[in-house]
Amino acid sequence: MHIEIISFGKISELMDNQTIEIEGVGNTDELQQYLEKKYPALKEMKYKLALNKNIVQQNAQLKNHDCIAIMPPFSGG
Amino acid sequence: MSEKKIKNIFVAGPITPDFIAKSIANHGSKTGIGGHSIFMGQVRMDEIDGKLVSAIDYTAYEALALNKMHEIREEIFSKYPLSCMHIHHSLGEITAGEICLFVFTSSKHRKPAIDACNELVERIKAELPIWGKEIFADSSHQWKENI
Repeated sequence: MHIEIISFGKISELMDNQTIEIEGVGNTDELQQYLEKKYPALKEMKYKLALNKNIVQQNAQLKNHDCIAIMPPFSGG
Repeated sequence: MSEKKIKNIFVAGPITPDFIAKSIANHGSKTGIGGHSIFMGQVRMDEIDGKLVSAIDYTAYEALALNKMHEIREEIFSKYPLSCMHIHHSLGEITAGEICLFVFTSSKHRKPAIDACNELVERIKAELPIWGKEIFADSSHQWKENI
């Protein structure tokens, strides 16, 4: 399965935008665990995920070519 | 979500006093309006650990921000009897002293305009995926956090 990962703010300095090929990751909770293992610094940060431009409120199923955004706390205005 | 067109709120660079003046002037023909409320956010030269913030570089997850802003806009329009609502937020590097956020509401009487403007500013800061990178005079930076 291919998942596009984009990140913003402080987290964009931790990882590049990329498309990852992963197996055995079926939902956003599992992807979060995968990402925190790959980027241990993420565990120490506050962030939210968005799945295909919708903020993830609870664990959601992933499908091929989904786009996940990793977003630190907002600081607009 | 309604069928209304999603408006862009993002402006590359600072929001100029000229732009704001024109925006006010554009309402001269809308004679049903009795009150305007305007909020302008200005980049503050904060001092952090002895270093001065010289600019803030704004980035956004634009697609998500515009969807969210559309939702907020619809909710505010249904909550308050407004004639007009205009929102502009800067992207890119904005120097200390320049305007980075412009919220402009208008109504027949003052109170809805004032209350809607306040609520919009609070919601924009809390809910839109926008990030500010504070750039110091020595080119180092830190990521801003809204409080």
